[in-house]
Amino acid sequence: MDAETGAAPAIVRLAFPPEPRLLGTIRLVVAIVARKAGMGAEGIEDLKVAVSETCAVAVGDLARSGRQDPIEIDLVDAADRFGIEVRDRAPASAQGPAGPGPGDGEVDDRELGLALVGALVDDLKTATLDGGGNRTSFWLRRGPGPLDLSDALPPPLT
Amino acid sequence: MDLDLNVRKDGDHSVLEVAGEIDVYTAPKLREQLIELVSDGSYHIVVDLEKVDFLDSTGLGVLVGGLKRVRNHDGSLQLVCTQEKILKIFRITGLTKVFPIHSSVGDAISAPAE
Repeated sequence: MDAETGAAPAIVRLAFPPEPRLLGTIRLVVAIVARKAGMGAEGIEDLKVAVSETCAVAVGDLARSGRQDPIEIDLVDAADRFGIEVRDRAPASAQGPAGPGPGDGEVDDRELGLALVGALVDDLKTATLDGGGNRTSFWLRRGPGPLDLSDALPPPLT
Repeated sequence: MDLDLNVRKDGDHSVLEVAGEIDVYTAPKLREQLIELVSDGSYHIVVDLEKVDFLDSTGLGVLVGGLKRVRNHDGSLQLVCTQEKILKIFRITGLTKVFPIHSSVGDAISAPAE
């Protein structure tokens, strides 16, 4: 329940094949939903970067493990904040650089990407899913007030 | 949106104009273009990011890779960017200390070599 209004947060739930070409589509959907939820322009840009980085890591891990399980994304519209949760089914052994291709070897894309997410959003959390996979969640507050984190994100679909 | 690249010569500099979104999907195209420029002997490169709508950590990695390549030839890689949302990514990652970032291509070309 939402602490301010007593209403349950509205959740938009998405599932995408783990393909790099779809990252732009994911960003577009997140931007539209966040805009409809009343997030400001800077917040929307931060959410686009955060969800794209998180999904790019999942795409890379799934490609390395040879799995095609969809990446699931929850977009949570609560009174004082907008939250995102990304779930994938990549085994821990598949962790490596973001994306499916070789990097330049100059920068650890995965570490840089996750550091970027941590700097842009509030309350970044990562966890391992039962049966393998990862769950990454974060919030972005709407205004300068304190963030009420009493509401946990919904349980994973799988 | 895809990634569009356009290269032109301006004196000793090669100006690489980038338009679109730089992410895991499109960054390899930018990487290949930078490698090709250096292979062709262009060691002073200006990357114009004014028409870039999105930049992620993979794109940052490609730019860092390009910088290292030109530095191997005593060259330079400078950026042009005035968009706050893109500059924010460079600031957060500390890369404003690594790349010279200018407000116009003219400023980048006339800047003294570092």
